[in-house]
Amino acid sequence: MSWKRSAIAFAAALAAFGANAQTATAGGRVAVGVTETIASYDPYADSVSLAYGIWCQVLGCLGVYDFSKSDYVGMLAESWEVDKADPTIWTFHLKHGLKRQNDGKELTADDVVFSFNRVNTDPASQQKQNVAPVKEMTAVDKYTVRVVTKVPTASLLEYLFDRFIITGKDLYEKYGASQADRKYLWGWGPYKLQELQIGQRIVLEKDPNNPQVKPENPDTIIFTIMREPEQRVTALLNNEIQIAEFIPPQLAQRVREAKNAKLVESSSVEIMFLAMSPKYKPWDNVKLRQAVCYAINRDAIIKSILSGQADRLDGPIGPAQYSYNADYAKKNLYIPYDPAKAKELVKESGYKGEPVDLYTPVGRYIDDKEVTQAMIPMLNAVGINARLRTPEWATMWADVQKGKTAFYYMGRGSVVDPSPALSQYFETGGSPRIGMSDPGIDKALAAERVEFDPASRKKDLNVAFKAIEDASPACFMWSHRMLHGISNAIEFEPDPTGRIFGTHIVVKQ
Amino acid sequence: MVGYLLRRAIGTIPVILLITLLVFLLIHAAPGDPADLLLSDQATPQDTAEARHRWGLDQPLYVQYSRFLVNVLKGDFGTSFRYSDPVITVIGERLPATIELAIVSLLIAVALGLPLGVWAGAKPNSWADNLGSFFGFFGISMPNFWFGIMLILVVAGYLNWLPSSGRSTYGIARGSETGFYIVASLLAGNFDAAWDGVKHIILPAIALGTNMMGIIMRVTRSAVLEVMHEDFVRTARAKGVAESTVLWRHVLRNALVPVITVVGLELGTLLSGSIIVETVFAWPGSGSLLISAIESRDYPLITGTVIIYTLAFVAINFMIDILYGFVDPRIRFGR
Amino acid sequence: MEGSVAVDVAVGDAAGPVRARRRLAIRPLLKPKILIGGAIVLTLIVAGALAPWLAPFDPNAQNLDLALKPPQWLLGPHVLGTDAVGRDIFSRLFYGARVSLVIAVMVVLISGVIGVALGAISGYFAGIVDFLIQKAVEVVWAFPPLLLAIAIMAFLGQGLGNLILALVMQRWISYCRVARGQALSLRTREFVDAARALGASNTRIIVRHIVPNLFQSAVVIGTFAMASAIISEASLSFLGLGVPPEIPTWGSMLADGRTYISTSWWLALFPGLCIFFTVLGINLLGDGLRDLLDPRLKRSGTGMG
Repeated sequence: MSWKRSAIAFAAALAAFGANAQTATAGGRVAVGVTETIASYDPYADSVSLAYGIWCQVLGCLGVYDFSKSDYVGMLAESWEVDKADPTIWTFHLKHGLKRQNDGKELTADDVVFSFNRVNTDPASQQKQNVAPVKEMTAVDKYTVRVVTKVPTASLLEYLFDRFIITGKDLYEKYGASQADRKYLWGWGPYKLQELQIGQRIVLEKDPNNPQVKPENPDTIIFTIMREPEQRVTALLNNEIQIAEFIPPQLAQRVREAKNAKLVESSSVEIMFLAMSPKYKPWDNVKLRQAVCYAINRDAIIKSILSGQADRLDGPIGPAQYSYNADYAKKNLYIPYDPAKAKELVKESGYKGEPVDLYTPVGRYIDDKEVTQAMIPMLNAVGINARLRTPEWATMWADVQKGKTAFYYMGRGSVVDPSPALSQYFETGGSPRIGMSDPGIDKALAAERVEFDPASRKKDLNVAFKAIEDASPACFMWSHRMLHGISNAIEFEPDPTGRIFGTHIVVKQ
Repeated sequence: MVGYLLRRAIGTIPVILLITLLVFLLIHAAPGDPADLLLSDQATPQDTAEARHRWGLDQPLYVQYSRFLVNVLKGDFGTSFRYSDPVITVIGERLPATIELAIVSLLIAVALGLPLGVWAGAKPNSWADNLGSFFGFFGISMPNFWFGIMLILVVAGYLNWLPSSGRSTYGIARGSETGFYIVASLLAGNFDAAWDGVKHIILPAIALGTNMMGIIMRVTRSAVLEVMHEDFVRTARAKGVAESTVLWRHVLRNALVPVITVVGLELGTLLSGSIIVETVFAWPGSGSLLISAIESRDYPLITGTVIIYTLAFVAINFMIDILYGFVDPRIRFGR
Repeated sequence: MEGSVAVDVAVGDAAGPVRARRRLAIRPLLKPKILIGGAIVLTLIVAGALAPWLAPFDPNAQNLDLALKPPQWLLGPHVLGTDAVGRDIFSRLFYGARVSLVIAVMVVLISGVIGVALGAISGYFAGIVDFLIQKAVEVVWAFPPLLLAIAIMAFLGQGLGNLILALVMQRWISYCRVARGQALSLRTREFVDAARALGASNTRIIVRHIVPNLFQSAVVIGTFAMASAIISEASLSFLGLGVPPEIPTWGSMLADGRTYISTSWWLALFPGLCIFFTVLGINLLGDGLRDLLDPRLKRSGTGMG
């Protein structure tokens, strides 16, 4: 009998040793260096890209925008349609039989409606804007949700997909908000929340029962907050992390030269622009505003300061974004670098040479101070007496929000369907940031908002782009290319929103 | 003596109160709206108004201040706008990192500065003196953030001997590093984690401690110079005591008093220096917390952190004053 | 006695009233500390004053084609290289010297005047005036040093004036304390009684009899205060809270260079070296002057004012 026991013991030891060997090679564990933080256990209390990316894959979203298909695809929702008679009524059909992590409870329409109510009523909620167009949501039956919008909104999916997080009604009611958030963040996504340490890291674990996951997806994903780019690059090169988010252009070469990692570029969905508020002199003159657009040599700035890691924007959006039409942009939206024409426009505008201040944040966008610094002599060269101002972000943002800044460099992120962003900045009453009021822009934006046929809507959006450029409340600069450092041990194509989904990562064997 | 102490202690209370008022006014007078900054940039004006109301920011200033004071007396420093957690908790999680950094910096400063100062003071104008004084001047002239950047560049970047930032490496440090990482790991027997912590703390501690090292070196040198001429030293030598014993046992002990007082005085500079060093090294302490709180206008967190720093500062100065009064009541000191 | 150091003492000078202006012999001035320190400070002054003639390029002249070029040393026009928008680093260092000098001198003068004045008044009148002024001193002093400056700059915004204000806010205390201490002891001297008996007003007494005694300590404090002002300005610029971008300062050059640290090291190295050597020079000079002017004056040896 004793040899049997020793055999078993030996086998057990072997198994244990084998198990150790597996963890020693860290198979299936991927660490990601990220820049943003999640500040709360409440999934509705943050509004940063990282939070949406994590909660969508842990708790679940109705759907996401799939850049490879250039269209929206359902995640918790199977399909959806707009009522032909009344375009304010949308119907979402949920997938059947979606089992929750840990307890297997099925997703129902009640959970969706509950989540909608929670977004609007949770005191810590910072996500109300994501459901702003929705007047009411009701559960028609177990798997069907009826959404009624306040006005016909063709861009509804830009609001509801990717950013509307679905949580369970029963857990919330049973345990109360704070317990439910701290201990019972169970959802219908492919990854479970293993650990959340505010300001430090978030650890996710694959839910093997979820149909979306494949065996080659990582078992564990660790999001480590590393705000300094140097820190991320060093960690990548030391194999501490396998994905380093957002490499700035000046560190790109280091990652390219690394033996254990490669640099992966992709377009982003953030647009950079110079805003000019017509409420303030001398920016009330459209010719002066147009002059600025011709005065800036964008290609030179992209080449030298941004190391080529940006795509010039012809029109408000770039190729990765919804409704982009390369031909139309080239023919109708492209503004060349033409200092002679800019000088002429400046003269025609009657600008008297009074000093104007260009405001820029520092360190908020890639090389923001450097690119705006380079713009100053370009503006001076065409006769615009410009000076650079670099206020602290809090001060600058306060002023911009109140509409007190006349001329500034700014970015707008998360622009997939451009409708909400354009409306916010350029429509009458959209927000005080520029204070633009142009009937051509208003008409064009109103038209695209109620056009539900995708092909027609894309045309309408391009018409709106032209209207915006003609009225020129802003000069569109570029959209930064997103650079990620990816370890050779995995395969991963970054998504232009910057979100990192475990189901997109393949661990090489 | 007790009466004196009590009077001094009571005397600091109005100072602290005035400081809370000053900070409160400064923060609220500043441009920048926490609601705008913390909510997403797509939030509507109603959302921001609601957030402002929730945080009590729509009340008149004196109401806000009195509410704040009452809470502080109860021990409640408010809730952070950004983290939705009590300020005490948020700061408490980050404070050990700063304390750890300060302690290690002080250790380095003393370990280098004290011996250098003693040797320099014992043999003025010798090579020991010149070498020591070089370090002394180097220490007090070096801008700590630049030194930190150079250290990162050379030691972490070029030579790759040490990590360039942060406090720990995930995977090695299991569990939270919000406590005293190195000591806790040692006590738990986790030597890998302890070594990981040491590797991360060396560069920031050197950057932070160099200034203090210079100061200690110079003060020690002067103090030793003074004491060397005392009668008891001559007596000890006459008695045949070995020179090194004379130096390290008798002289040093007497020279330590001014050194300690100056160190105490400079601890405030160390505290504020740590704010910048933490930023350079992405060290997750209360200094970098303060900077990000200022950037996001997280009023409760700003006031909480400033009050804690000030309390620490006042407490240290108070103790130094007392120590000083004990040591030499004749000497009234000005800075 | 060379290099003596300890703590500030309320010196009652047994020798009596106003110290006559001392003739400084030349010999003692030739001590290495003073020579080296003085040479560095002199270089700083010359570099700053003559910047427009000494700097090879306009400090704000950009050239995107020549961005981030490494130092060419003596082989090319851009001796120490260029920054991210192609500006010449060497030239910017000269103009940065100018700004640092101006800021340091102004901060020291203003805080010196305010501090000595308040300290003399506080010490001379004693009583309630002294109490109030000292309470103000305590409040300002209890603020961790950089914090107050950060708060002021963050809240008032960029600007040379705001920066000087932020730096003065805590520096006047050092002068005030020492001045107060000396005034307190001097006010009981016979010569003060005599002056009062002769009908001199309080103001006249303070200005003519008390303040001149404080001059030497003020000078000593002043040199170290200059050094610390330069470092504080650099720290504030580093945090993004300094002067507006068209004014080149060593601190803001450092801050700009930080993002490029691993690829274009020269952006951060040279401004930092300038700060370091300037501060070193000032400290050496200050130390030497202190040894010379009043070796009996015990001081705290912190060197950072």
